[in-house]
Amino acid sequence: MKTHTCSVSFSINGEKKTFATRPDEKLLDLLRREGYKGTKYGCGQGTCGACTVIMDGRAVYACLLYAMQAEGRKVRTIESMGTYDKPAAIQVELVAAGAVQCGYCIPGIIMSATALMETEKDITDEVAKEYMDGNLCRCTGYEKIWVALRRTIDRAAAAPAQEASVKRGKK
Amino acid sequence: MKLCEFVRPESLAQARASLRKLGPKGLPLAGGTALHFMPGKAPVTAVDLTGLKLSYIRQKGAFFEIGAATPLSDIQRYRGARWAMHEICRRISTHQIRNVSTIGGNVCRVFPWADLPVVLLAMNAKMVIYSGKMKEMGADEYFSSQPARLFRGGDLLAAVKIPVLKAHHGFGSVKAARNAAAFSMVTIAALLELKDGRIAAARVAAGSAIPFPKRLPSVEAALAGKEPSAEVFRAAAALAGNDAKWCKQEGMSADYIANLAEVSIVDALERAAQFASGRTK
Repeated sequence: MKTHTCSVSFSINGEKKTFATRPDEKLLDLLRREGYKGTKYGCGQGTCGACTVIMDGRAVYACLLYAMQAEGRKVRTIESMGTYDKPAAIQVELVAAGAVQCGYCIPGIIMSATALMETEKDITDEVAKEYMDGNLCRCTGYEKIWVALRRTIDRAAAAPAQEASVKRGKK
Repeated sequence: MKLCEFVRPESLAQARASLRKLGPKGLPLAGGTALHFMPGKAPVTAVDLTGLKLSYIRQKGAFFEIGAATPLSDIQRYRGARWAMHEICRRISTHQIRNVSTIGGNVCRVFPWADLPVVLLAMNAKMVIYSGKMKEMGADEYFSSQPARLFRGGDLLAAVKIPVLKAHHGFGSVKAARNAAAFSMVTIAALLELKDGRIAAARVAAGSAIPFPKRLPSVEAALAGKEPSAEVFRAAAALAGNDAKWCKQEGMSADYIANLAEVSIVDALERAAQFASGRTK
């Protein structure tokens, strides 16, 4: 049986786009082919979290989803977050804490942290760990990543105005 | 699993018609997270079930009805009266998987490590199957063997109905795994019905350390009529070997797994007794 070429339309970082794809193409492959290369290929089997993107507000593994499953959805990648000149609050804290070692897991970490902060109120350690349990750091830099995340959460809670900064880049 | 085509039906009837027409070349697809574990190079057509409005949880009379395409994270977050499904959903895989993986996907094709079938067996859940019309099947019959057998003709799981637990019910589930996101080594779930301080009835089920999830009738019988206590739970758990042949796992002997299962049964029963006393977490 021949694999058909098909198209899929979804919002990517706030911009509605249509992509040519194949039914068996993974969302991660499509994203990277289309230039969203901040989303990393790690394990390719839904374990490490390097490929984490946000789909309809939820963190998901782009390596497990087929591109066609994104039809009509809102997808956000690391490219929707802060820039080098204007980093998002979580990015500032990760750098300040020295949490970025090889950096390969960081885009996925940021996307999971963003899903957490945009979904939950009064974020306890238990809830935060629950949201982050699908992201592995091969450098095992968890402690500093945790410090950065907790600082970002606490600052956002202390200064509601800062929330806008946490969400900077959201489209 | 190689997908060669992707179709999006707009109703259960359309989905069933597509799957009937496609036969073995059709694949019902919800979250799709388990496809990684499904071998097969023959190309298949994915029939996407996520647009059928099957993602919901609502209380209807004496049951909570969970749509088959409801993600595990929604079940984990839901809070209804004496809701008990969240504790096992919290323990399944990672946050990203729970956001996509559905209850239907977990129970339509049961993998050896699956946790939800164990819980649904203990809960005495009912499966709502669409075969042109809706019909219900009890968990004992549904999980008597691989449920995929029920869906070969294009029929579809539409919902799962969980009984609303009453004040005299206690429920507990325990999953033993190497780490938070790992597959289960042993999963145990227990439902106790208490009357006048004694166990009037019990449903205890096990999975992961045995080839297919099942109830443990010897354990259940040993509990009936007794007062819920640690001694009673331990004595009942010691009989689990009559019902299940525990399998060795990587780095663990069958004896170790049997011991782990017994301890997990006691823990699940104690959690069930605590639930009857008002435990909510």
